[in-house]
Amino acid sequence: MSDYLFIQSQDPFTEARTQSHYQLAQTLQQAGHKVSMLLVQNGVIPARHGAQSPLFDELQQSGIAITADIFSLAQREITLQELKSHVSPGHIDTVIDAMLAGHKVIWN
Amino acid sequence: MKVLQVIDQAFRTNTEEQDDTILWLIGSMRGVGADLMLLLSGHSAYYAVLRQRQPPLSLAEWQQTQPADIPKDVTNLITKGVPIYVIKEDLEERGLGKLPLISGVKVVARNALANLYEQADQVWNW
Amino acid sequence: MSETKTLTFAFMDPPFENERTITFFRLLDAALDKGSNVRIFAYEGAVALAFAKQQPHGNAVHGRETVEEDHPLTRDWITALQHKARVKGLNFEWINCGLCVDERGVNEVIDGCGRGGPPDLWRYASDAFNTLTIGTR
Repeated sequence: MSDYLFIQSQDPFTEARTQSHYQLAQTLQQAGHKVSMLLVQNGVIPARHGAQSPLFDELQQSGIAITADIFSLAQREITLQELKSHVSPGHIDTVIDAMLAGHKVIWN
Repeated sequence: MKVLQVIDQAFRTNTEEQDDTILWLIGSMRGVGADLMLLLSGHSAYYAVLRQRQPPLSLAEWQQTQPADIPKDVTNLITKGVPIYVIKEDLEERGLGKLPLISGVKVVARNALANLYEQADQVWNW
Repeated sequence: MSETKTLTFAFMDPPFENERTITFFRLLDAALDKGSNVRIFAYEGAVALAFAKQQPHGNAVHGRETVEEDHPLTRDWITALQHKARVKGLNFEWINCGLCVDERGVNEVIDGCGRGGPPDLWRYASDAFNTLTIGTR
């Protein structure tokens, strides 16, 4: 089984392909792989409490570890308290840690 | 090391580069022996079914003489030993599901992508 | 002492067009922070990131002259990362895709950035511990 980290820069409000990204992450998770996702740039927008995205909410329920880049959150003035319940604050160096651990790191 | 190359968009710079720059990159790397697979997803599903060269661009007196030849480029990759897959649902949602595929391109369903991703040591999204 | 790992990054975006550029540079900085050697293959528009003739400017809308505006330039970011790598005893290598350079006319690049092609990306990736590609849109 493999470890996957998706760096999710695209968001479901403006990029239709985001649905496929979320689906692939869940497909890999369901296949037994360890999947995590770091939201960056506009990818953090559905992670704000009150943001209306059934696609993102489904992703949250899937068991995939979702973190949101603190810098991207700060740009959009999303406080840590405003994150949806299954999203944790994250750091860009999460990507480097994953790369150095030999995980499959994939940019969306 | 085997790398799955994933192209998720199409027609981005095909006119001015006279090819798809990721298909080109893959062909160049294959030329030095890279062990590669290619997944066509999203709009790049079109690359699995194109039959002709791109239309040449005309601007004022300027006339393009060498428009991109995507079917040839895809076929060349297959000939050079790069397995090429296209996502079934991405063909269907674009109305391409009943069109003939370029010979050698294989269809993979979304729910089978995990197997494909596991065949590669790395996955490079473009 | 464990051997220093090398990470390879491939990038495609030109400067001043997209948020991806910022995230890319933050990743390079983070890689150095984590003690990794870094190799970059700049493809298509990204070859302009190292263009030596980038110039700052003032901004009348901001009400600031050139010095005060202190406009960021990606060539300065690359220089800063090169310096950081040297201080930390790490390698930081940058290759531009040569054909991409030619068609854009950005042949004058800052010191420490070279010219190559797709075989170099494959070489970088083959020699590295891991590789991340960031495509454009």
